[in-house]
Amino acid sequence: MAVQQAPSHLGRLVCLFAFLLLLHSGYSTFEHLSYLKAIDGHESGLPQDIVIELMASVAIFGLGIVMVADDFKEILMETEMAKQTIESLDARPSFYGFSHRGRAVFRNVSFKK
Amino acid sequence: MVNAAKVLQDLRASAERKPDVVVRLGKPLVESGAVMKLDADAWLVYEQVAIAALDVGDDALAQKCIQALETKFPGSPRVRRLNGMELEAKGELLEAAKIYKAILEEDETNVLAAKRQVMLLRAMGMNAEAIAALVKYLDINYPDFEGWLQLADMYMEEFMYAQAAFCMEEVLMLQPQNHIFHLRYAEILYTQDNVQLALKQFCRVVELCKDHVRGLYGIKLCTSRLLKSSPSKDATATSQEDLKAIDLLATERLLAVYSAGSAASAKSASTKWIEHL
Repeated sequence: MAVQQAPSHLGRLVCLFAFLLLLHSGYSTFEHLSYLKAIDGHESGLPQDIVIELMASVAIFGLGIVMVADDFKEILMETEMAKQTIESLDARPSFYGFSHRGRAVFRNVSFKK
Repeated sequence: MVNAAKVLQDLRASAERKPDVVVRLGKPLVESGAVMKLDADAWLVYEQVAIAALDVGDDALAQKCIQALETKFPGSPRVRRLNGMELEAKGELLEAAKIYKAILEEDETNVLAAKRQVMLLRAMGMNAEAIAALVKYLDINYPDFEGWLQLADMYMEEFMYAQAAFCMEEVLMLQPQNHIFHLRYAEILYTQDNVQLALKQFCRVVELCKDHVRGLYGIKLCTSRLLKSSPSKDATATSQEDLKAIDLLATERLLAVYSAGSAASAKSASTKWIEHL
């Protein structure tokens, strides 16, 4: 059964901060280009501070994603196979029979969450 | 709610039969209507919860799920076999038989209905007919390892171990990397007194899954039987030295597995017992 990690609030905050940085640098670029148009200046590439802000946003985003992502799953087939038990032989979902005591035992049971 | 959907998805992937978990998680989803938020998965969840509800005796919940599926997929054979399963669960076997027969008349190759017919015959107590029907199904659908597993199980109920061993061999041809199938094959062989081959299969289990305790016990049982019996003149049989070496290895591994994290008193008790096995 899957085990869900507790959501990492710090990770989500970091991702949000990085996204805001990205938005801010995008808006700065737009403003810069409109300023250049206003003074009829030539387009000489983005000013350095916007570039630095953009790189910082990417780096912080990377950090945030690593904090928020789930644990890695094993790559080796062996580790997955080792979890199989002898009960998995009796699984066979297409061949379920219903003449078992489960219907009687659980009939009036309400499962608590 | 996200949690519940993920757990249900994992159960669908692993094919485990845990109706109590499915109903506990799925019932609030279905009754509150939150299941529709899952888009394409919603119908799979409906099917899963319907079958689990039948397992648990919650017929109202099952009916609700099947209704929802019928509204979405009217006339679908997959939904009709769910109707058949509902009747099976309630004990109305003849009605269920009619449904499956109708589905198979429309489409001879419908796998789901054919399998349900086999289980229906079993529920009616007609084991021989069920085996015959399953054999006929497997004649056509040869690569269905689940069917071969089911047939092996049915033969073992009738104590027909040779036929069960044959079915397990078919399973192994289809899924050679699963150590559990080798384990069951090995145990059937041991029951048939074919200790040589059983030993080979138990070794395969341990090869595929390192330190598998049940496999190691199997090795110990086989080697102790073979060492006690007189050495066979057969050239292909394992030699006495090899048997002793395998026995020693199995003992070592068992002791290693048991001594990892147990009290000293337990260690000495288990050591004594394993060495005398």
